[in-house]
Amino acid sequence: MNLEIVTPEAKVYEDTVESVVLPTTTGEINILPGHIPLVTEIQAGEIIVPKPGDGQSLAISKGFAQCVGDKISVLAEDAIHIDEIDEFAVEEAQKRAETALTTMEKMSDEEIAMLETQIAYARAQIILKQKRR
Amino acid sequence: MPNLREIRRRIKSVKNTRQITKAMELVAASKMKKAQQAALSGQPYAALLAETLAHISSRIEDVEHPFFEEREIKTRGIIVVTTDRGLCGPLNGNLFREIMKIEGNAEYVSVGRKGKQFLSRSSRNLLADFVVDDNVPYVTIKQLTEFMIEKYLAKEIDTIEVLYPHFVNVLVQNPTFGKLLPITGLEDMITQLRGKNAEPFEHADDERNFKFEPDPVTILSDLLPLFVDRQAYQAVLSAKAAEHSARMVAMKTAKDNASKLIDSLTLQFNKARQAAITQEILEIAAATAGND
Repeated sequence: MNLEIVTPEAKVYEDTVESVVLPTTTGEINILPGHIPLVTEIQAGEIIVPKPGDGQSLAISKGFAQCVGDKISVLAEDAIHIDEIDEFAVEEAQKRAETALTTMEKMSDEEIAMLETQIAYARAQIILKQKRR
Repeated sequence: MPNLREIRRRIKSVKNTRQITKAMELVAASKMKKAQQAALSGQPYAALLAETLAHISSRIEDVEHPFFEEREIKTRGIIVVTTDRGLCGPLNGNLFREIMKIEGNAEYVSVGRKGKQFLSRSSRNLLADFVVDDNVPYVTIKQLTEFMIEKYLAKEIDTIEVLYPHFVNVLVQNPTFGKLLPITGLEDMITQLRGKNAEPFEHADDERNFKFEPDPVTILSDLLPLFVDRQAYQAVLSAKAAEHSARMVAMKTAKDNASKLIDSLTLQFNKARQAAITQEILEIAAATAGND
């Protein structure tokens, strides 16, 4: 199967995989070859690509995933490889977003939604990093 | 005969102009690189988004979402993306020419100061003006599309279109109408977004039924606004890349013209100086001849 993960900034991941675990809004799902065509919503969490030897995992922000034929495409607002996560910077970013959310007045709904997405993404990254240790 | 001091003054002022245009060219060049990068890197995402949407809309038999509904066009809703500042060649002028061609009713929303000025000066219906700075914050675009969608759903406007200078390359920027709503011709759009060399889009020949989680309606109602936002965002990014490259080219031309002007003025100056010297020698020679 071919897996690609695309964000507005870049194509984060593209490779042939044997299976993949996606964090959907209705729970984690594992997609294996021959899966029926699927379109699903993704929430902030972890994507696991099991591989013989060592698996890979990526932190992901919310988005969508589709599986057609032997092609899985994941559309996310943001995604990062676990080794590239800078825990310290992420924590800082999370704090900034949280203070902005509580202190700022007169925010539009769009700004609030955006900050909440950022916080969820930051949380997912931190959890992922801590799990690895 | 031209005055020597006069010419020297002109050379100096042209040199100053050249320096300014050169600096502006360099600034535009560095900004252009960034903007170009942003515009290009968003394309695979936009293509995939359109693809997902195409899959869904073809599989759900009775999609009755207002975003797909093609109703009679009474009033067009047009977002005009222009620059805030001038000195960027014919970029804005080309857009304005497109606006002048528009017949029938249309409501406008402007992004960029030049567009706002043009629309209000030519007394067209300007609904709102959004200010987008060079980093193009996504939130602002979201507010803009939300505003337009509200008008669309209230049937005040029957289409949402975006008119922007499409960035083709550094030398070519085409004024382009991008259709945001109603959503039609997804297949063509995907093919275009994938680039020239890619294969045209085809629906996967997977006969099995599509599964939607949690359900098609939820996905569609989340995916559609995102799609419209992204489409608008991509247009603005493209416009920014076009702006900076147009400015760079305009400033380069200005710089080259200044250099040419300096050359011809220097020639004129030297000629005038030589003429003055010859004149003086003649006078001296005549005076000596007279004394003998």
